Amino acid sequence: MKIFWSFARQAFHFIAAYRFNFFMEFFLVLLRMYGIYWVWRVLYTQRPDAFGVDLDQMVTYGVMGMAIELFIWSRPQWYMANQVKSGAIDTDLMKPMDFHFYMLSRSVGEVLTSIAVLALPALLTAYLILDVQLPPDLLNGLIFVASLVLGFLLLFHLNFILGSLSVVALDIRHISWAYFSLVRFLGGQIVPLWLFPPFIRVLAEVLPFQGTYYLPISIYIGRLSGADAIRAVEFQFVWLVALVVLSRLLWAWAYRRLVVQGG
Amino acid sequence: MEALRLYFRLVGLSMRARLQYRADFIMGILNVIALNAVNLGLIAIIVYRFVDLNGWVIWELFFLYCLWLLGHSLYSLFFWHFWDLEEYLIQGTFDQFLLRPASPFIQFLGREVQYIGFADISVAVVGLVLAYRNLGLHWGATEWLFFPLVVLSGTVIETALILMTACIAFWTGRSSMGIDLIAELNFLVQHYPIDIFGLWFRVIVTGIIPVAFMNYYPSLLLLGKYDPNAPYAWMVYMSPVVALVLSLIASRVWNQAIQRYASSGG
Repeated sequence: MKIFWSFARQAFHFIAAYRFNFFMEFFLVLLRMYGIYWVWRVLYTQRPDAFGVDLDQMVTYGVMGMAIELFIWSRPQWYMANQVKSGAIDTDLMKPMDFHFYMLSRSVGEVLTSIAVLALPALLTAYLILDVQLPPDLLNGLIFVASLVLGFLLLFHLNFILGSLSVVALDIRHISWAYFSLVRFLGGQIVPLWLFPPFIRVLAEVLPFQGTYYLPISIYIGRLSGADAIRAVEFQFVWLVALVVLSRLLWAWAYRRLVVQGG
Repeated sequence: MEALRLYFRLVGLSMRARLQYRADFIMGILNVIALNAVNLGLIAIIVYRFVDLNGWVIWELFFLYCLWLLGHSLYSLFFWHFWDLEEYLIQGTFDQFLLRPASPFIQFLGREVQYIGFADISVAVVGLVLAYRNLGLHWGATEWLFFPLVVLSGTVIETALILMTACIAFWTGRSSMGIDLIAELNFLVQHYPIDIFGLWFRVIVTGIIPVAFMNYYPSLLLLGKYDPNAPYAWMVYMSPVVALVLSLIASRVWNQAIQRYASSGG
């Protein structure tokens, strides 16, 4: 816990040093929430019954998608790619700590800071101005939190895998764009999976990406509850175990092939 | 003229450096295509459930998207690295431009070209051609003459806005978030016709950060969606004017910013 805390403090200092940036980011999030709010509102006035849930639920889904976006993306892959490129990764490897765990603690630290200073204030603001709802009951709220944590861990490991590949492929900048948009798309950040055409939906439902946005938010708005919600969390957990194993194997492999370019 | 020659020389050099990484080149192109396919897919999924979005049918939305993208592609080809300006300032590497006996702006511009722009161009052109056909458009001379002007204006508008925002870094040290803000507004304007949003949003993207002139207003004309007698009908012709005004302001801001520059050492 102490180690998470020290990384969180570091992330907080970084934010405090660039305050202008911080306010911009905050504003940006509100703008995104506002955008999705209007899109759904207009669509619902045209055809209120075409989406399977009511407008308030859908707006909440959209706003949560934007709020989760704020902290779920820790970027171990950038850090790893940069360190490999500049050669500074050797200092990371010399630290008396498992590298995978070291990256995870960094990410957790960053995420804690983002939740505290960005996501919660933004959600509170959205709650006040955009008709965002609370979860239907306490149980859903609790399962949501568990599902969210699993979602963060899922995404962290997907990113870590990408970062491990960067050790071999050296430049992941361009893969990243398609990767980001694919995760957001298949993760159902903006459009929930139940609106997808059947063939994409089938694909999205077996891949781990739906565990990042779609499952936690569906639990939050009450679209999934009871046994369905539990099943969703199980799905996330099974994928998480698989991805942890894959991460360890891939990193061990990449580590052997690591070429430090000066530094 | 001298400046232009210098620019092309610098660009030629960075182009050659870029082409050293051929796999990266191909990956980059494929990526942009995938990215746009996903974006268009999202629009399609949403609108698929309806006939239209506030009166815009799916091909009109694609037109809106691709018109924006075509203007943006020239920006991303030549000016993408404005985004990196803050790095030059923080690391102190901006000094190199001031030490050489040539315009710092030209030197900075010539620093890089992004081939990603080529992918944007191809996606946009294909999309526009398909939209043109599927909508059964028949442009007259006015529209055909106006179209290239709109594309260039789009490029100038985006470039000027991003340049001004990047210049914030001369004062605060950081600017990438400001650029992200523009990118965000751009994202919304590119994807959705602004008439679905609330009044405040429309005022902002029209009058304050006028990205709506990259695609929305000219699209009203090019798609024949505007009523000539409506109170603000003249707005559909305004893109080139907005581009001109913005570029004048941007050049002043840049000059001010350069005066302000104090090296961080590096």
